[in-house]
Amino acid sequence: MTSTGPAPSLKRRESSVTREGDQLIITPLGAGNEVGRSCVYMSYKGKTVLFDCGIHPAYSGMAALPYFDEIDPSTIDVLLVTHFHLDHAASLPYFLEKTTFKGRVFMTHATKAIYKLLLSDYVKVSKVSVEDMLYDEQDILRSMDKIEVIDFHQTLEVNGIRFWCYTAGHVLGAAMFMVDIAAVRVLYTGDYSREEDRHLRAAESPQFSPDICIIESTYGVQLHQPRLVREKRFTDVIHSTISQGGRVLIPAFALGRAQELLLILDEYWSNHPELHNIPIYYASPLAKRCMAVYQTYINAMNERIRNQFANSNPFDFKHISPLKSIENFEDVGPSVVMASPSGLQSGLSRQLFDMWCSDKKNACVIPGYVVEGTLAKTIINEPKEVTLMNGLTAPLNMQVHYISFSAHADFAQTSTFLKELMPPNIILVHGEATEMGRLKQKLITQFADRNIKIMSPKNCQSVEMYFNSEKMAKAIGRLAEKTPEAGETVSGLLVKKGFTYQIMASEDLHVFSQLSTANITLRISVPYSGAFGVIKHRLKQIYESVESLPNEESEGPALLVHDQVTVKQESESHVSLQWSSDPMGDMVSDSVVAVILNITRDIPKVTAVAETAKTEDAKTAEKVIHALLVSLFGDVKTGEEGNILVTVDGNVACLDVKTGEVDCENESLKERVRTAFRRIQSAVMPIPFSVSS
Amino acid sequence: MGTSVQVTPLCGVYSENPLCYLLSIDGFNFLIDCGWNDLFDPNLLQPLAKVSSTIDAILLSHSDTLHLGALPYAMKHLGLSAPVYSTEPVYRLGLLTMYDHYLSRKQVSEFDLFTLDDIDSAFQNVTRLTYSQNYHLTGKGEGIVIAPHVAGHLLGGTVWKITKDGEDVIYAVDFNHRKERHLNGTVLESFVRPAVLITDAYNALNNQPSRRQRDQEFFDAILKTLRADGNVLLPVDTAGRVLELILMLEQHWAQHHLTYPIFFLTYVASSTIEYVKSFLEWMSDSIAKSFEHTRDNAFLLKHVTLLINKSELEKMPDGPKIVLASMASLEVGFSHNIFVEWATDIKNLMLFTERGQFATLARMLQANPPPKAVKVTMSKRVPLVGEELRAYEEEQNRIKKEEALKASLSKEEDLKASHESDANLGDPMVIDTNNTRVSSDVTGPNGGGHQDIFIDGFVPPSTSVSPMFPFFENSSEWDDFGEVINPDDYILKEEDMEQTIMRFGGDLDGKLDEGSANLILDSKPSKVVSNELTVQVKCSLVYMDFEGRSDGRSIKSILAHVAPLKLVLVHGTAEATEHLKQHCLKHVCPHVYAPQIGETIDVTSDLCAYKVQLSERLMSNVLFKKLGDHEIAWIDAEVGKTDSGMLSLLPLSTPPPHKSVLVGDLKLADFKQFLASKGVQVEFAGGALRCGEYVTLRKIGDASQKGGGTGTQQVVLEGPLSEEYYKIREYLYSQFYLL
Repeated sequence: MTSTGPAPSLKRRESSVTREGDQLIITPLGAGNEVGRSCVYMSYKGKTVLFDCGIHPAYSGMAALPYFDEIDPSTIDVLLVTHFHLDHAASLPYFLEKTTFKGRVFMTHATKAIYKLLLSDYVKVSKVSVEDMLYDEQDILRSMDKIEVIDFHQTLEVNGIRFWCYTAGHVLGAAMFMVDIAAVRVLYTGDYSREEDRHLRAAESPQFSPDICIIESTYGVQLHQPRLVREKRFTDVIHSTISQGGRVLIPAFALGRAQELLLILDEYWSNHPELHNIPIYYASPLAKRCMAVYQTYINAMNERIRNQFANSNPFDFKHISPLKSIENFEDVGPSVVMASPSGLQSGLSRQLFDMWCSDKKNACVIPGYVVEGTLAKTIINEPKEVTLMNGLTAPLNMQVHYISFSAHADFAQTSTFLKELMPPNIILVHGEATEMGRLKQKLITQFADRNIKIMSPKNCQSVEMYFNSEKMAKAIGRLAEKTPEAGETVSGLLVKKGFTYQIMASEDLHVFSQLSTANITLRISVPYSGAFGVIKHRLKQIYESVESLPNEESEGPALLVHDQVTVKQESESHVSLQWSSDPMGDMVSDSVVAVILNITRDIPKVTAVAETAKTEDAKTAEKVIHALLVSLFGDVKTGEEGNILVTVDGNVACLDVKTGEVDCENESLKERVRTAFRRIQSAVMPIPFSVSS
Repeated sequence: MGTSVQVTPLCGVYSENPLCYLLSIDGFNFLIDCGWNDLFDPNLLQPLAKVSSTIDAILLSHSDTLHLGALPYAMKHLGLSAPVYSTEPVYRLGLLTMYDHYLSRKQVSEFDLFTLDDIDSAFQNVTRLTYSQNYHLTGKGEGIVIAPHVAGHLLGGTVWKITKDGEDVIYAVDFNHRKERHLNGTVLESFVRPAVLITDAYNALNNQPSRRQRDQEFFDAILKTLRADGNVLLPVDTAGRVLELILMLEQHWAQHHLTYPIFFLTYVASSTIEYVKSFLEWMSDSIAKSFEHTRDNAFLLKHVTLLINKSELEKMPDGPKIVLASMASLEVGFSHNIFVEWATDIKNLMLFTERGQFATLARMLQANPPPKAVKVTMSKRVPLVGEELRAYEEEQNRIKKEEALKASLSKEEDLKASHESDANLGDPMVIDTNNTRVSSDVTGPNGGGHQDIFIDGFVPPSTSVSPMFPFFENSSEWDDFGEVINPDDYILKEEDMEQTIMRFGGDLDGKLDEGSANLILDSKPSKVVSNELTVQVKCSLVYMDFEGRSDGRSIKSILAHVAPLKLVLVHGTAEATEHLKQHCLKHVCPHVYAPQIGETIDVTSDLCAYKVQLSERLMSNVLFKKLGDHEIAWIDAEVGKTDSGMLSLLPLSTPPPHKSVLVGDLKLADFKQFLASKGVQVEFAGGALRCGEYVTLRKIGDASQKGGGTGTQQVVLEGPLSEEYYKIREYLYSQFYLL
């Protein structure tokens, strides 16, 4: 009874352990109910993946980071970065260089090439004190060595985590990552767009439906105007402004959507020769440098642009000139300037804004999503006055147009995408709380008839899910020559690699894996000069199976003991033992060695020693039994013939030490004494005399 | 049971012929590679013609002619219509290679095996994959996953992994394990124990000098010629190995501030480089890295001038120069013409960087000793003038009228029309109608009466199936070293020949080469003028191996490492194939096949397998031991059935005893170090390890042989009964996992 006691509790504990292993946790460390500092943590079966590693553009210093202190960076196996935007990649140098992170980082080729440019620029532009600097140029360079590249659709496996990526639209090199851990698939969309534009492909539909889809919700339930309408509004606004002698400011993020706008402008200018004397400036220090990247990774773009590429490189713009800084800019008439940053926080776009904002001929076209808390967001609501960089206020007279070209999915795209995938779990990230809430409600009504869970965790709020994955194994090789019926037994090696299991015979191990097996033959020579027959005799007393092996010529007699150990007479003074190593063989050989050594000693003496030892043992045992009984019952006397008398509350029990019988009138005392004695005896002399003698 | 796998070579076994193999996996037929040689001999494709209609998918591994050259022809004439899979560079560079071939051929003959449109349509249905992309086939091939992996050798070069039910079939030919300037080495070694490996024996007997030494010799040879005021011709492929050579020269020129001009001359040179610039993600890590850091595209060439026209080359100032020109075989293309011009000058150098295809001019020149003179055919395309032009125009008018007549006829009539009219339908896209018309008229069954438009230089008989150069009709005179030559003949002819060259250089050359590419593409009626002449080969001929293939020794060690369960050898001379077969039988695996053309071998694995579910109860009691990537445990289980009829394994209440298994790989040298670190005196003595004073440790049998034989290491530990013995035994045990 006692032995089976602990087993259930052990099992309970173990099953709780496996349950823990089946638990999938997803925690947004950033971009939960907000836009910016995208960073989503995921853990399943002891494998940990981090998606994206951004900063919040509206904050600076440590405050802009995702909540890295919620996790242990050293446990993360893989970090996947979807695209190069600051809110998705800019805390990467910090995470790689200033934390204990030691996993592997992946991004696409184009993302990596632009990442470096963009972050170096970010470090230069962001005017914060040295203490507030999260990292410097050197950190970025070092991080470049740690970042590995992945191509679209390429399947990689790290530490049992399989992952690949799909085209996400959005910007050049943007990817959606699919992660497969033990057959549970998680899709992280990052920022994506399902609409093909001038140079990018639309986001692909993954061929497998994921179990969990972590999806952006930037635009919530809003709907985009058709692309052509937006393009027309954009060009119309610009055309009318410059024809009235005004200047157009387009505050845009240096890379990504800017290239799309440049393609539109370049094409529009080509079709309107009357505009050729109006300059378009692309005022980004990155402008020229990142063009090389755009000119190179043409294969990540759509068919249209690749066909153009066959004739000439569409990113060789004919009507757009780069502008290095405001000093090089001659403000002498109508012009179109595209400048970063997109939020008008500081930098060139802000300088131009300050210069132009009070003239009502001028226009500012905001071409994309603007983050809460930036000036660009403020002027969309067209306030009467704005605060300039020098602290003065100025009237806002310039026209402000908001024409979104930011390639994020709108509600129509999100819902068709989700309808195609039908993931059982949807997690919304990357959206302002209100937009996200609306999207959640609308999706819930849309998928009401289906069993789909939709969640929108806040930062650091974990979503827990359980997946009962069935473990499948493949039995191969000799072991699988015949498929067993129910009730038969299968014994063999279970080999686990990643999350795949194989069962095989030990002989096949080297065939199906790089592991090899070994046999160790042990041969030992023992000095012995007596008659070989004696050994055989003594061994026969111990072992059931002692066989003489057929004598070969010129060799001494040999014995096979317990089918494992061969004992052979090598010469007059030596016998040799040979066996193949395993725990049983080792044990048998040890006993054989002991026997052989014993034979060489004086036999009678050995027995004498053993006997005295026995009597001594018996005496000690008696003493121990007596002492233990005293501790249990108190009044214990030794009676005649070695009997023991136990007196408790006037009742006397007579214990026969040899048989363990108890004689007593009180039944309960009798039982107690008998049980106590049995236990003591089994403790003191675990092996009954009857067996040993 | 295992997946059924059959391999049938259609071309390219026991020889260096182009590669083309049929691989059938559970009835799904893959055509792996669809190669042709530079001679475009349709006879080579006969085995393919027989099976082309049964092909379900085509996989291309490299972008050169030997691997995909027959695709347009087979699609057009042999009824091949399956979807094609390749990597993006193989697709793009393959397309350019075929263009270059077509344009080169068209320039010198009435080439009609395929047209530019045929090339375009053949490549239209290529599905482009990236490396390590697992592509799940659908329909008939349901359950089959194909994935391209890095092969090295050429940009985008592919080792194909075809997986069904967890069994891998790997096709790896022309791979290169060495990292090169523009390419990474193959990842073939990362595959372990595939069910079937199909590989080539092409380089089995070749061993290469070290790269540094070879590069040094290369530059030495080139610079020596240049400094002696000679010209260097490198006959190259269109878009394959030439990239490595260009990069080598470019880097060397930049490093040493050399100013000798380098020209890359093919019909598609500029677009080749333009595309290659956008394939950085397919190139070596160092190129990708340098781009990420400095955005310097390695193929932004500063020292190499791209030319698509020979007349541009002639406009260049005189003086020593390097020209890389296609084709490598010297059969056609710019290299052919340049060779004829330069071969007679002792100062010049022909530097071959790859073995010429069998029976081509390049191969003859690579013979040792090289021939003193070779017979070549110089052909030129000239515009029609005077009488001929008028005759031609009349003919065109007649055809137009006929066509108008035809158009008015019923549809049935149209269907009956021969391929002549098919060619017509495909025409309007790129190439001029006129040229095609001429050629199909000549060879078409209804052709007949327009031969008068040809001058006597080149008149293919109307019955000829393949109007090749007259040059090939002399092929019967060749032996292994090229044409059988009687030197006396040439002494007499020398004067004639020089006159011929004079005539070419003086009268015709300048006019003819003007816009040679345009000539083909514009619709001016033209004809081909051929001229056979003998060239004295006086220039130096050098062959250096820049093929970018693993050499024999590396192939063997890679094969031993990959250790496939079954190995199929293709592509390589009979000698090399046999050599590699014998080697592999001994050292790699017991199942090595080298089938003949048309011979179907069954490489279905005799592997037995079944799937079981591991029950939660069983797994909760399993304790894994970790060994590298693997975790391993001994299980005893009872078989049960789940509700869905699946076999499942349940724990056994009383596990039977089992023979213990020692897992681990004992390396005596490592163990010696280990013992030494434990303070035991160790030394090697007679192949055994002597530990301490008396104990010896030996390994019996050849443990390095994988696959075949026992596979289990036999270790013997001997010694007298002593404390030391037991101590060393403990140490030995610590090297293994006991299960």
